[in-house]
Amino acid sequence: MHTPSGHSISWHSVDHALDACIKCNICTSYCPVSAVTDRFPGPKYAGPQAQRFRKPDQLLVPDDSVDFCSGCRVCNEVCPTGVPIAEMNARARAQIAAYRGIPLRNRLLGRNELLGRVGSVMPAVANFALHNPLSRLLADKVLGIAREAPLPRWSESGTLGDWLRRRARASFGKPRPAADPAKRVVYFHGCATQYYEPFVGKAAIAVLEHHGYEVIVPPQNCCGLPLLSNGEFGAAAGYHRRNVATLAGFARAGIPIVGTSTSCTLTLKEEAPELLDMHEEAALTLAQGVWDFFEWLRVLHEAGELRTDFRSLPMTLPYHAPCQQRAHRVGKPALEILGLIPGLRVVESRARCCGIAGTYGYKTEKYRIAMDVGEELFAFVRNVACDQMGDVRYTACDSETCRWQLEHGTQLPSRHPVEILAAAYGLYNLQERKLT
Amino acid sequence: MLDLLVIGAGLAGLTAALGAASAGRSVRVIAKGLGAPLWSAGTLDLLGYLPDHTPVRSPVEGISRLPAEHPLRQVGGVSAARAVRELAATLSAAGLAYGGHAQDENLYLPSAVGSARPVYAAPVAQLGGRLDDPAPMLITGFTGLRDFFPHLIAENLQRQGHAARAVLLPLSLLTDRHDANAVHLAQALEAPSRRQALAAALAEVVAPGERIGLPALLGVEPHAAVWSDIQAAVGAPVFEIPLLPPSVPGMRLVHTLRSRLADLGVRVELNMEAVAFGASGGQIEWVATATSARPLRHRARAVLLATGGILGGGFTCGPSGALREVVFDLPLTTPETRDRWFAPSFLDPAGHAVFRSGVRVNADWQPCDASGNALYTNLWAAGNLLAHADAIRTRSHEGLAVATAAAAISAYLAHAATFGRLPVAA
Ligand code: SF4
Ligand code: SF4
Repeated sequence: MHTPSGHSISWHSVDHALDACIKCNICTSYCPVSAVTDRFPGPKYAGPQAQRFRKPDQLLVPDDSVDFCSGCRVCNEVCPTGVPIAEMNARARAQIAAYRGIPLRNRLLGRNELLGRVGSVMPAVANFALHNPLSRLLADKVLGIAREAPLPRWSESGTLGDWLRRRARASFGKPRPAADPAKRVVYFHGCATQYYEPFVGKAAIAVLEHHGYEVIVPPQNCCGLPLLSNGEFGAAAGYHRRNVATLAGFARAGIPIVGTSTSCTLTLKEEAPELLDMHEEAALTLAQGVWDFFEWLRVLHEAGELRTDFRSLPMTLPYHAPCQQRAHRVGKPALEILGLIPGLRVVESRARCCGIAGTYGYKTEKYRIAMDVGEELFAFVRNVACDQMGDVRYTACDSETCRWQLEHGTQLPSRHPVEILAAAYGLYNLQERKLT
Repeated sequence: MLDLLVIGAGLAGLTAALGAASAGRSVRVIAKGLGAPLWSAGTLDLLGYLPDHTPVRSPVEGISRLPAEHPLRQVGGVSAARAVRELAATLSAAGLAYGGHAQDENLYLPSAVGSARPVYAAPVAQLGGRLDDPAPMLITGFTGLRDFFPHLIAENLQRQGHAARAVLLPLSLLTDRHDANAVHLAQALEAPSRRQALAAALAEVVAPGERIGLPALLGVEPHAAVWSDIQAAVGAPVFEIPLLPPSVPGMRLVHTLRSRLADLGVRVELNMEAVAFGASGGQIEWVATATSARPLRHRARAVLLATGGILGGGFTCGPSGALREVVFDLPLTTPETRDRWFAPSFLDPAGHAVFRSGVRVNADWQPCDASGNALYTNLWAAGNLLAHADAIRTRSHEGLAVATAAAAISAYLAHAATFGRLPVAA
């Protein structure tokens, strides 16, 4: 089966897992989407069961409901026999996209980077154009982008790239302390940090530099995840190929590539090579060289190299490890690191999913589902806030879209854990989201 | 560094972690997925039948008649029963009440097909179905609910001499959805309005003196309140009959244990599949689990393996046809050639050799070679991966898990006490 862009969808890496399914329905019992809607029968049915009826060259797909799988991977997490259900579903969505074509709305949502770049030309105008009730209504009716959904705002103080360039100019010609060649690290910012939340990138760079690292920010592309989850495998392969070309060299040289957007790091490590069957040496080298930010900080900490010159942050912080972070299968290192900050009391969410699942919750027909799924998390935050009586000022979460959803669902501002950490080092103003 | 790494999040792994953490050890549990309790009835079965299928009245006495190498015999009947009673007490204290074990004998409860199921302790909501109670039963099902057929259950119960009749109520009492699995229905009943509607419908069909048997759907988290509310509103005793998986009583059991563990600071990490380990000087140094990129190494002073048997995923079978233990490649007692795995008849009264096979342990619950020497000085094993058990046939699944976990943990603690904290290899 070839997608419109000529990318071929293969099943071989999931097919062998079919027989591992013992039909216990544990996945369906924990799937947050099938818990709230009839439109999705659940992972067992859409995954290993429907998979029996899918073949590489078959045009008609067994059912459409797989489009309602949000890709949160809770099913993978609980399946006792290790069936990669979410991957099966992602491939099935690509097969549907290949057969039917991709709606304009999904094409737009998949092109995070392009949207980011276009809007950043005149961010104030773009923000006005997008964030007024009339255009949101139009986008809802014409495109199918839910009018209530928490779309981000373009940064009006420039992109992360602008800031990096300004910084480079300011320090041009000034003598710099000779950096320890072993202390170099590449920062992968992802599109959201580049165009919408440059302050997250500034906080990350400040934390890395605080540890004496030279931070390299090479040119980079979107990781391709929004395209992958919308079934546009061909375009995603293009992005990934370019990232491999620009970044694999750093991995080969032993320079770690760290990212603050946990879905981007997951895509570079596993989702893209796995779903796109890109298993060549360079792609694998890159995958092995990428670290989620706190995963890497934990290694520093275990080596006794994490600085602990913290100031106290007296507050209670509900922390939600998003689905994509959990899909890394590295535990929850942010909890371990934030746990070192004096005064800070981190309360761990056990909610399954915030609902937004990348671009899922932006779609008109899925907005309600996403909010119903997220209710478990919103209720958790409300309960912590209520118990703590005003001590809860923020929530924390490693994924940008999840933070936007959390803010939308709880009315509390949400921060990336690296912002919290930077604030604890005295490098960052948590309220204004600015370096100090 | 961690004191103890537990591999496996079934009943054996979770109770072992609880035992070690309660004794002040730092513990982490890693597992590939949620374990077998979600396939179980939520009861704590200790020994329902001897291997020759003789029904067991007193499990303590029955255990003394098991073959010498049987792991429950190694624990000893009195200690095994104590371990189960302690777990029942822990669960009860955490809000999930268990009972029936005070009499120290098996009691019989109706299964999802109306057969008599021997259990040692059961969630109190299931105890109302005791078959030694002469009160007639009204088995109530819901139209369209898969896996629960009240007429089949009632008919089977009648055949065994119990007074029972069946009734079907509309599924719309529980949900507005077209299709829902047991867990979703149980969650729907957490809404007070649903409870009231169900209670009103039950009150109309129940006859005086009857007790009502419902599929086990009476709430997941606020289960006790759902059960007592419905019972009070109907004005008749109500009991649960467990369904096929996914098992709501099993889910309650797992959630209760996990929240106890969380209170003790024990993390239970799912989706962590062990892929490699390192050992030197006869000691396990680390166990690595698969991640999105490089394997993650877990270092601990000691390791307890509780990955289950063939069913739980502790063993796998490669293309060569040989059974393998998945984490440490421990030797198994499985017959070498496949033709000796199975008896010729499917329902052979003696069962099948392959299901009795597993990991051999010594008197200290350490995986060992044929002469009883521990293979690794800091490795223990418990639960359904142990050799000589065949827990499903003998109805000792939970008892085996809980009793051997308790025994292995006391052996581990004694070891750690004798030698101080286990030395860490450099
Ligand atoms: S949890 Fe895994 S084994 Fe069970 S039904 Fe789902 S995919 Fe199959
Ligand atoms: S990925 Fe999430 S939404 Fe999709 S089937 Fe699995 S649990 Fe359900």
